[in-house]
Amino acid sequence: MTQMVRKANAFDILNHWVLSISFLVLTISGFGFLFHLEQLNSLFGNFNNMKVVHNWGGVVFSVSLFFTLFSYLPEALSLSSDDIGWIVKGGGYFSKKAVIPPQGKLNTGQKLYYLFTLIFGITIAASGLIIWLLPGVRTWVLLSHLLHNLSFNLMVIAIPFHIYLGTLANPGTFRIMVYGTVPLEWAKKRHSKWVQKMGF
Amino acid sequence: MAKKALLISPELCIGCRGCQTACKSWNQLSGTKTTNRGSYENPPDLTPDLYNRIRYVEMSSETNIMRWLFVSQRCMHCDDAGCIKICPAPGALFKTKEGAVAFNKEKCIGCKLCVAGCPFDVPRYDEKDKISKCHLCSDRIAEGLSPACAKACPTGAIAYGDRDSMINRAKGAGYQKIYGETDLGGLGALYVFKDPPKVYGMIEKPAIPETVVFWHKVLKPLTYIGLGGAVAVSLLHYVAVGPKKDEGGEEK
Repeated sequence: MTQMVRKANAFDILNHWVLSISFLVLTISGFGFLFHLEQLNSLFGNFNNMKVVHNWGGVVFSVSLFFTLFSYLPEALSLSSDDIGWIVKGGGYFSKKAVIPPQGKLNTGQKLYYLFTLIFGITIAASGLIIWLLPGVRTWVLLSHLLHNLSFNLMVIAIPFHIYLGTLANPGTFRIMVYGTVPLEWAKKRHSKWVQKMGF
Repeated sequence: MAKKALLISPELCIGCRGCQTACKSWNQLSGTKTTNRGSYENPPDLTPDLYNRIRYVEMSSETNIMRWLFVSQRCMHCDDAGCIKICPAPGALFKTKEGAVAFNKEKCIGCKLCVAGCPFDVPRYDEKDKISKCHLCSDRIAEGLSPACAKACPTGAIAYGDRDSMINRAKGAGYQKIYGETDLGGLGALYVFKDPPKVYGMIEKPAIPETVVFWHKVLKPLTYIGLGGAVAVSLLHYVAVGPKKDEGGEEK
């Protein structure tokens, strides 16, 4: 039997699902507000309901984002020269022969993606809260409206890449989101520093 | 249909506030108790129950001890309306065929973004958190009637008609500049002033907030392009380069 190692615990898995589903709901309703998609009434009933779902979905997203701090932040901040090597090689995604420096529990791309998500996640959550809780306070609402949409733009660009890289582009990765474990051999090839640190 | 407009001439206004009363009467808006602030101006600001009010500007100079200006303050019915632009709820704010900016409380989701989008600080919210403002008596004008304020005005200070004829009328009365003739695509409430607009308490160059224009023109289309582009690039990568296989070319 293949030897497995645990990369994510039950809490990490659950929280990532909460984050991703809340993000999906927020994105769909967000597009609804942006482009007046009345077709979404079949999903939410009406725009009043959609606003309630969007606001409270934002709260769920914010809480979930807070908990990711414990799962990913320390690892994401531990950047080294290997990360520069990874960036120079484009993560090995542009050539089958590319050799990339050894990676820790998260590879460089994952670290940078997490920091990106954290920064713009906090921006989109904070600006959303201001629009919700300080209605009519013109300067704050206008600034928040701009930041909310700017962050949204960046996130809808980043998320498809994140989903692609976590599924089709890297076979064997998506099972982390389901079981939390990966084959030891797979981990050795992709996260050798992490495997070494665990003493395998 | 020809665009309609109000032509407001403060020089003709006698400050009787018949327009305020007629507006409340037609739109079934209740009165509000206010306190004496030492001015005949009353109430002090627009409220959810006050769509139109006369602003009293009291000023004195050496040649004129007491000059009293009366200006109707209300929704300006912008052609290019910031409130409609920023509103996330379809049908909550809309343009009528006469050019009025009207609203539908049932569609309003109470987010108050229109308050931030309006250059004139007009939208107010009622106790149920629904938008409330002048709608140019859209129900009356749809039937070919005048708005209640214009109907009630005894001096012609608030006139209503085809926008073009209102402009001609103002020019015929000797006014070179008409406030709102071209601002924001052309306002549905035109004003003629003898002094600079700010003397009457009006903004000199009204405009939709720049952040809202930028969001509307740049960020909105970018959302679709960005999302679609990211998906397309991912698929292209899958076809052109393909997934990372565990067999080789990994870390060393």
